[in-house]
Amino acid sequence: MGKGDEMSTQLDEYLEAEIQSMLTDGRIAELGITVHRREHALVLGGEVESPHRRDEICRQITERFPDVELVCDIGITRAQAPSDVEEIS
Amino acid sequence: MIRIAAVGDVHVDKDVLGRFRPALEELPEHADALLVAGDLTRHGTVEEARCFAREFGGLAVPVVAVLGNHDHQSDQQSRIIDLLTTSGITVLEGEATVLELHGHRLGVAGVKGFGGGFAGACASNFGEREMKDFVETTEVVARRLEDALKSVQVDALVALTHYSPVPDTLLGEPLEIYPFLGCYQLGRAIDSVPAALALHGHAHHGSERGRTPGGVPVRNVAHPVIKQAYNVYQLLSEEADLQLVAT
Repeated sequence: MGKGDEMSTQLDEYLEAEIQSMLTDGRIAELGITVHRREHALVLGGEVESPHRRDEICRQITERFPDVELVCDIGITRAQAPSDVEEIS
Repeated sequence: MIRIAAVGDVHVDKDVLGRFRPALEELPEHADALLVAGDLTRHGTVEEARCFAREFGGLAVPVVAVLGNHDHQSDQQSRIIDLLTTSGITVLEGEATVLELHGHRLGVAGVKGFGGGFAGACASNFGEREMKDFVETTEVVARRLEDALKSVQVDALVALTHYSPVPDTLLGEPLEIYPFLGCYQLGRAIDSVPAALALHGHAHHGSERGRTPGGVPVRNVAHPVIKQAYNVYQLLSEEADLQLVAT
């Protein structure tokens, strides 16, 4: 592995850590979002409470890292009433 | 028989208003009370707490909550508690409340809780002042839960926390962050009394069911885990059955 490749790998790890930090700090404040590197893209997963939050996460990351290819697999948590009861014993 | 609904980590802000309400309007058909396991808001602002009160308040059943770490983000927790209390929502922090439901006394003891980790992989009260402060906070909070649990005489007792009392319900989370998701001291406090159920949130990628070392059922009711507006748990079923037999 050449020096350039090593630098690139380290940069990816730092980038991933920085995005994780962005997700959990006061700007976004989402603890349930996962970040995975897949080839040349970063894949975001997990669930949030509204479509607005999902879109805002992707907007902020894209704004800060415009060269990063982002794949957004973040879902919206369902909020329907339950259909069953669990008996605790 | 008592039925309680529970959810945590709803992180309400303006953009969530109306998402839970249709299911909450149905709640009195399914349960006698609603317990909310912290992270009521997103950034812990008073405005977000107002949104939570609007979405989760004014129900036909009692609502009891603890705060979560998100509710502390803006250092407004005292104002949040005042606002929620004024809205008719009971907020517990090292306290217990008793609900009279169908002739039974349901006790709910609650604290936010704190991290620290679990047997074999926990922070220790040693070394730097900052580390000792961390662990001392864990121990103080757990003692407050134990005192609250022991403060009431009831037919069924539920422990309500944001942080987890057991590692079982963290399954699915990275092992590396377990110490930030809960602590064994909360489990020990719960096992110091005959609790019927322990409810917590915080672990969005965790799993739903576990037990304390003493055998108390534990349920992770974080919204991303249960994937519906709330879960419903039935307590004191045997007593209800015995009454039916006696009749």
